Amino acid sequence: MMIFGWVMQVSWAQSDPSGKRRVTSSFAITNATVIKSPGDIGSKATVLFKDGIITGIGAGLSIPKDAKVISGDSLFVYPAFIDGGSNIGISEPMDDESTKDFNSSNPPDELAGITPWRMATDFYSSASNEVDEWRKVGFAMSQVIPEGGMLPGKTALVSLGDPKNIAIIQANVAMAANFRGSRGMYPGTVAGVMAKFRDVYQNSILALEHEKLFASVAGVKRPQTTPTQLAMAPVVQKQLPILFTANSELEARRAISLQKELGFKLILTGLENYESVIDLIKSSGTSVMIKLQVPDDKAIKSQKEEGVTEATKAQYARVKEAYDQSLKQAANLEKAGVSFGFSTLDTKASNVHKALSTMIANGLSEKAALAALTTNPASVLGISRIAGTLEKGKLANLILTTEPLFKESSQIKHVIVDGYVFDYEVKKKSNSAPNSSATPENSENSVEGVWDYVSETPAGSSGGEITIKKENGVLGGSISYDDPAGSGKASAPIKNVTVTGKNLKFEFDVSAGGMSFTVTVSGEVNGKSMEGTLSLPQMGSFPFNATLSSPSQLN
Amino acid sequence: MKKLFYLLLAFFGLGCNFSQAQVQKGSVLIKNATVLTVTKGNLESADVLVQNGIITQIGKNITAPTGVQAIDATGKYLMPGIIDAHSHVALDVVNEASAPITSEVRMKDVVNPFEIGIYRALAGGVTVSHAMHGSANVVGGQNATLKHRWGAKDPADIIMQDAPRTIKFALGENPTRVHGRGNGIQPRSRMGVEAVIRNGFNEALQYKKAWETYAAAKNTKGNTLTPPAYNERLQTLADILDGKIIIHCHSYRADEIYMLINVAKDFNIKKLVFQHTNEGFKVAPEIAEYTMGASVFADWWAYKMEVYYSTAFNAAILQRNGAITSINSDSAELIRHLYHEAAKTQRYGGLTDDEALAMITINPAKQLGIEDKVGSIEVGKQADLVIFDSHPLSSYAVPQMTFVDGIKYFDVVADKDDQRQLVSATEMVEPIFLRANEEAHRCMQDVEIFLDAFDVAFLKEKH
Amino acid sequence: MNRILVLFCMTWIALLPSVGMAQIDGEFVKPRTGKFLLKNATVVTVTKGTLSNASVLLENGKIIGVGASLPSEGAEIIDCSGLFIYPGMIDGGTRLGLVEVSSVPETVDYSDVGNVTPNMQALTTVNPNSEAIGVTRVSGVTTVLTVPSGGLFPGTAALINLNGYTPDQMYGGFKAVAMTFPSSGRRGRFDRRSEEDIKEDGEKALKEANEIWDNAKSYLELKKSGAELSYFPEMEQLSKVLSGELPLLIEVNAASDILSAIQWVEGKNIKVIFTGVAEGWRVAEQIAKAKIPVVTGPVQDLPTRQSDRYDTPYANAGKLAKAGVKVALRTDEEENVRNLPFHAAFAAAYGLGKEEAWKAVTINPAEIFGVADQYGSVEVGKKANLIVSTGDPFETRSQILHVFIDGYRIPLSNRHIRLYQEFLERSPGLKAN
Repeated sequence: MMIFGWVMQVSWAQSDPSGKRRVTSSFAITNATVIKSPGDIGSKATVLFKDGIITGIGAGLSIPKDAKVISGDSLFVYPAFIDGGSNIGISEPMDDESTKDFNSSNPPDELAGITPWRMATDFYSSASNEVDEWRKVGFAMSQVIPEGGMLPGKTALVSLGDPKNIAIIQANVAMAANFRGSRGMYPGTVAGVMAKFRDVYQNSILALEHEKLFASVAGVKRPQTTPTQLAMAPVVQKQLPILFTANSELEARRAISLQKELGFKLILTGLENYESVIDLIKSSGTSVMIKLQVPDDKAIKSQKEEGVTEATKAQYARVKEAYDQSLKQAANLEKAGVSFGFSTLDTKASNVHKALSTMIANGLSEKAALAALTTNPASVLGISRIAGTLEKGKLANLILTTEPLFKESSQIKHVIVDGYVFDYEVKKKSNSAPNSSATPENSENSVEGVWDYVSETPAGSSGGEITIKKENGVLGGSISYDDPAGSGKASAPIKNVTVTGKNLKFEFDVSAGGMSFTVTVSGEVNGKSMEGTLSLPQMGSFPFNATLSSPSQLN
Repeated sequence: MKKLFYLLLAFFGLGCNFSQAQVQKGSVLIKNATVLTVTKGNLESADVLVQNGIITQIGKNITAPTGVQAIDATGKYLMPGIIDAHSHVALDVVNEASAPITSEVRMKDVVNPFEIGIYRALAGGVTVSHAMHGSANVVGGQNATLKHRWGAKDPADIIMQDAPRTIKFALGENPTRVHGRGNGIQPRSRMGVEAVIRNGFNEALQYKKAWETYAAAKNTKGNTLTPPAYNERLQTLADILDGKIIIHCHSYRADEIYMLINVAKDFNIKKLVFQHTNEGFKVAPEIAEYTMGASVFADWWAYKMEVYYSTAFNAAILQRNGAITSINSDSAELIRHLYHEAAKTQRYGGLTDDEALAMITINPAKQLGIEDKVGSIEVGKQADLVIFDSHPLSSYAVPQMTFVDGIKYFDVVADKDDQRQLVSATEMVEPIFLRANEEAHRCMQDVEIFLDAFDVAFLKEKH
Repeated sequence: MNRILVLFCMTWIALLPSVGMAQIDGEFVKPRTGKFLLKNATVVTVTKGTLSNASVLLENGKIIGVGASLPSEGAEIIDCSGLFIYPGMIDGGTRLGLVEVSSVPETVDYSDVGNVTPNMQALTTVNPNSEAIGVTRVSGVTTVLTVPSGGLFPGTAALINLNGYTPDQMYGGFKAVAMTFPSSGRRGRFDRRSEEDIKEDGEKALKEANEIWDNAKSYLELKKSGAELSYFPEMEQLSKVLSGELPLLIEVNAASDILSAIQWVEGKNIKVIFTGVAEGWRVAEQIAKAKIPVVTGPVQDLPTRQSDRYDTPYANAGKLAKAGVKVALRTDEEENVRNLPFHAAFAAAYGLGKEEAWKAVTINPAEIFGVADQYGSVEVGKKANLIVSTGDPFETRSQILHVFIDGYRIPLSNRHIRLYQEFLERSPGLKAN
């Protein structure tokens, strides 16, 4: 809490009249609880990173001089999330105009949604609001899928980082595919799409054969490989997987049956209903990205208890059963031993936390949930070497939360992408005590008890407990705070406690690095809450909020 | 014994492919029923023993082997599972209406085992249905023959894997309306329909030849021939010419039926069944002589111009002229009472009980190429069976139990009312579909986009 | 040769006068009236029990005798030994005669432009020579209600007998204004409206219906007070419903709509008949309590909801009847009204019972339509609408041997039958040229 001494650095040769350029690319998160990988129980450590790469994790690491320190006191550090399939920041391609001799039964590939040569990178904008929305909830990377028809183009892995940076991590990750027909032309339905898919695939193989023969034998007619066949070459050579968007069980089966027939590498994404295909996913070894979403509970909540017939009750029960089963799917996937990632396709960022906590409440282990957000997609996307866990040498993609990640009240305070720190507002906790019985008449008495506090400082939020009690007619007590030395909480007695009307004021001494400060806290008390400031000599004042969590029962 | 059987199956690889391994087979003894075998007459108070999905014994006083449940069917009628040679139940897509020939499209790709229509068909005694592509195209997609194993989640488990390939053709108003009038491409007339078919078959012959030439040259030294383009559309047509696929052709008028018979003769195609065939009665001798017969409606007529000159006596005339004749539903509603539809051949033409019953059992089985497996109650056949409370050709008959492969999938007494397999987790109120009969007729589903607004307004989803 | 063909041939030979005109071969058999004694049959009167070895005497379009020994003077005697006589069946809701080929708009006349067109008269557009009429009546259905459909008040339905050369000759003495009650159901698979939209649309439509109703009320009140009102045919027709001159046929199907319709009707003091009533079984008690008669069907139909038991449409009529609702059946068909007896059989098998099912296609619709003095049973004084069959006409194996409508003996022929006669043994058969 005490650490505000950011290091002044010699300026770069270039000026920045906006004054916004960051002064260092080196950071140290100190004294945070660090969870390096799924299943890790977490331990207090310092995380160092520079130029977007983690340079060290561990207790007792010395903080480089150029490092800006982020106080991790009371915070939890996790690897940032990886989105297995999304359309974050992706814009739609321009509509193609019909050609003159357009024939709906045999349209050009481009009109029929067959554009495998397209690349998501051409349609991605890191300045999109969506990038910030998803980063805010913890995502640092996403596999972005181009918009379009049955073969819209190649996906890309992007970093959801600072828009000034190059976002593309890898341009051609997978070939996207959909069971989506083209309106008013061939293929128009999922039946047509499957047939056309086979056609495209087989002819791409033949085109390669043709090219091979042409390259080795004289007298062979010139190959006329189409852009589609050219783009599909790495797919049929099994170098590039197909990323099939499949919402339902039947779509998943269709994709897997095409895979079995043709032999390409397959990743399924966007799975929403998949209970009955879990075994098939497992036995076929298909990689899956399930939709990071739980069904809307509006229907469940609108079910009435009274005034409904037995028949209606039976119907309700079926909907409830379907709802419950839907929530358990992820857990069942884990139980079956399938490693899965998440896809954010057609989901809302604001629902992520709820989706995760609901899945966990319905049996998904926290370990598997974290794996689905980190190591599993990293593995499927082939980036385990650089991402998915917190390790020295990996990308500095991490998130800092106020509480353990999957706790209901946990909030994300920082997301670090490529070593860039993004700060997010943390709402104060409103854990008002039950049976509020504050007596505002006696303001002096009303401050007695144990307070929880949070203080917002440039290095992040910090908090602890304040105990105020009257001893021999004088108010006194103690305060706990994040030890600046980096070893959990420290505590100090409070002094000069005064209550004037609604105002509470006190001081306490803190020593750090051989120095000693006196910290002054003052604020207005309303019932059980206090809002005010925390002041440090020569450093300024910072917001301070506290709640009387257990009022003293002495009076 | 059972174990040995499986071992043998595995050892010889007999039909033990991936998808069949999932299929459940049952054993049951049905006692004291009036057994309507269809092919071998009627047996009073007879027993039928089913073991492991196969009928193993028919006779009197059969005792149930250990572990086999016996069902008393005294006073009841047992008939073979009903076979519907024309249905669109359990399909997510009916028409890939975007091209006049779409022979590469497979209905097996879009089978939906969750559709409630399967259970409703079972409740009408139907155990096998022919899930067909629609009639928007001259040559539509390849169909799927389904076994109604309700409760299966894998589409492969309701596909009758040992049934031969079939394909949908369509003549007359529908393809000319969708492509010619709707989209400005051939065919716009019945002349065009013939031309499209002949063009397709001739191209298929060229395609086949191109691949044969390539295959022969491929491994010769210094070969400069490159592989022809792959074209499953033409390959499928070539397969038809090679006798590997049965054509099921949507047709109404006598002239167009006669046309296709001539085309079939020219291309030496033997496996041809006509569907609907409302004017089949006019060319019944030709149908009987050259084709695998006709699958017709009991009494549908007048819903469009090409069925205005129909007669409900069609099935009887075809039957009396020696054509293999079946009665089909083409409707999620009619499929529930095909026994009754078949019975109408007694009102309209006075067919015998066996003739009428054959029209929904062994005859459609023949037309689907599965008559060696289903369609009658005979030892060695698959145990698809229905128990009725009275004679199935009575208008008052109520199906009681339906078995597929010896497994009971419908029981009028024991089944719960709500049979949905998939329920939406977010549905507040279940949708109510009125005029449900219009829903039932799906032959022209998925084609709206290809028609002009006027046509759509009058597209009553009938054929 | 089968039985039915033999019978045709016999009829033909008996009636064939020698004709020698060039270019015309054979003779057309017309319906003919006279005095007929149908002798020694089992007579199922529907209202007065079943009589064995009884005869029915017809003259001047009426039944003038039912009993064991009836005078035969001057009557053409038809031996009905071993046969059954039933009243002609009445289909309570069809589009028969209003459409010839449903996909050809030029032949579709059951719906006109506009939401409020009660003045559109089904009887005007009935085509007495529709092929479908000849096809229908040989099945034993002798009388049908033919109903316009489409908008909120699509037109005025008419009861017709299936014989006659002009609509007036066919008219059965009952008309009613049709109403399509605002629906909360989906119109079909393509109806993808949200639940809220459906509800909103329904409320809007009901509000509009109320406004129109109020308008008609004002029209009637002003007219009664002797005001000279400007020409307004829609209100003129609708006001006849308000005054009780014409009943209102309310097409309503979803359970919740049925309840709203009951509420809507309450206090209006009009004659009401519900039609369709597909989900009537869900609210049978309430319908019974409201004492509103029902014309339901088709019986052979799909359940309205996925979760419904497969046989709910079959069982609907039975459940309504059990609750005390007066039930008539309809096919809601155009070309296949001939299936009415089979719809009735399904209703019978799934809970209605044979006797009630017979009533539902004879005396019940006659009573609901207020024409029971003329139709619906084999009784002296009633219109001579009856059929003679080899057995239960609900069974497909039974053959209808004679049909009398309005005292006319109907030739058992139509295009379907003529095609059968021509093509059963085609000549030339199988040979080129």
